[in-house]
Amino acid sequence: MNAKVFGVELTDELRGIVREPTALFFSIVMPVAFFALFVSLFGKFSSGGLSAGTTMVATFGAFGVVSVVLMNPGIGVAADRERGWLRAKQVSAVPIGVTLAAKVIAALPYAAGVLLAMTATAAATGALDAPVPALLRILAVLMVGALPFALLSLAIGFQTGAGAATAVLNAILIPSAVLSGLWMPLEIMPAFFGDVAPFLPTYHLAQLALAQLTGAPVLTHVLVLLGTTIVAAALAAVSYRHARS
Amino acid sequence: METVLEVRGARHNYGATPALAGVDLDVGAGECVALLGPNGAGKTTLVNLVVGLLPAKEGRVRVCGGDPRLASTRRRLGVVQQSLGFPNTLKVVELVTGAAVRAGMPRSAAGPVMAELDLTDLAGRRAAKLSGGQRQRLQLAMALVADPRLLVLDEPTAGLDVPARKRFWQLLVERRARGTGVLVTTHLIEESSAVADRVVVLNHGRVLASGTPDELVARLPDRTVIARTALGRDRLAVLPGVVSVRNDGEHVHLGTRTPEALLRVLLAEDPGLSDLRVEGAGLEEAVAGLIERGAA
Ligand SMILES: Nc1ncnc2c1ncn2[C@@H]1O[C@H](COP(=O)(O)OP(=O)(O)OP(=O)(O)O)[C@@H](O)[C@H]1O
Ligand SMILES: [Mg+2]
Repeated sequence: MNAKVFGVELTDELRGIVREPTALFFSIVMPVAFFALFVSLFGKFSSGGLSAGTTMVATFGAFGVVSVVLMNPGIGVAADRERGWLRAKQVSAVPIGVTLAAKVIAALPYAAGVLLAMTATAAATGALDAPVPALLRILAVLMVGALPFALLSLAIGFQTGAGAATAVLNAILIPSAVLSGLWMPLEIMPAFFGDVAPFLPTYHLAQLALAQLTGAPVLTHVLVLLGTTIVAAALAAVSYRHARS
Repeated sequence: METVLEVRGARHNYGATPALAGVDLDVGAGECVALLGPNGAGKTTLVNLVVGLLPAKEGRVRVCGGDPRLASTRRRLGVVQQSLGFPNTLKVVELVTGAAVRAGMPRSAAGPVMAELDLTDLAGRRAAKLSGGQRQRLQLAMALVADPRLLVLDEPTAGLDVPARKRFWQLLVERRARGTGVLVTTHLIEESSAVADRVVVLNHGRVLASGTPDELVARLPDRTVIARTALGRDRLAVLPGVVSVRNDGEHVHLGTRTPEALLRVLLAEDPGLSDLRVEGAGLEEAVAGLIERGAA
């Protein structure tokens, strides 16, 4: 029963993306354009045996994924509420968990789109030198690691208007990205950034992705991201139940 | 009769604005209850409590014995909401089929309901692009396809043309005969009185009166004086024996128990009075009278 319901919920979400592909396109263009700029400037530098273009697939990739899954689901549900459609979902017999799961899974095409575009860009500039299995692991880590950010996005979207959601989510995204070293490595930033970074889930996502190249230990990052997912899921569920209609 | 909706002592405030001040309401299986009242009376607020959109902070709301805030309880509910918007990316047939699956019905349930509501030709259209009345029919189809135990309809007739409205009341009668309980808000009081088993009049968040349409009519003015007059509403309201004043554009409708005395005064006050008739009062006059009396 719930599998069928999940099926129609997910199908509806995916139809929303396929039938209005401009939103998908433009939300991918911005982070990828940034990435192209950075990678063409710094991509050939190397440290610790890895080219910057390669590590950037992990760090800037984390930024790309977080930016699309943090913005899109939240703005989408905020627009649904303004349109008066969210109320129809809220009175339906669909359990909260199923609705949220469908919305979060429907954010993954955004994540996949941005990662593929970035990887292709890095390869095109000749700055990419990593074994294919490691690259695939990075992609997998970033896709799965995107989930808590999609949930956080929903939690905010259920409470704000579409315009406010854009502003609030950007206000979370940009500082987290900079402080976590997603744009530029923490080594070249003020020391203060490095002190703050470990408190941000974005940092742990990037480190987890990097670890696929360096073989660094991953347990802390995995635990932090798991914890974030649980907290974000609870926030999203409470926010949905108390969404203003 | 099995109770499909039970509301006890429901209250709700929006910030400092009181919207419901302690409402009791029951709907039985196979019973149709019309919830009437002027704009801002609290009808939609009550509906939102019943369908689980608002939490019942005070009082108790039970749908088929369950809390409507729980998804499992809402399996029993079919809802038409006031001013619902549809997404631009979904088609009519997808929405009705989706509503069937979400309610645990087979996908094939969608076809017959769409035919019943004259939506078959619109199946492939994007929902957001429909006209107001078409959207209303779509909402109704999504509610009916769930084969609910309780139908909650907030102004379902808004924007419907005359044939669609007839069809709508007919559908309610059919569903009621199959044991579905119905709670319907509407401003089409006369139309609802033909179908409603019971009428509940709400004003300022309170139940002013409740009973069969005949009972309510009997409690209030039994004659309506209809005329074209130059006299203003304020003047008319204070004429002797006037219980209610309603304006339908060209004519005024005055509810009264003493039509003869009223006619004498009217003719004296307005020599230009024309198109005069006296009719038995209907539910509309009765409700208008109740609300006016309740407000006084
Ligand atoms: N979201 C809200 N925030 C603040 N006040 C509200 C809100 N919704 C309704 N109200 C107020 O609560 C009261 C009851 O409103 P409600 O929508 O329940 O009336 P109604 O009987 O459905 O009216 P109508 O016939 O116009 O649909 C009104 O005074 C209204 O202004
Ligand atoms: Mg209303």
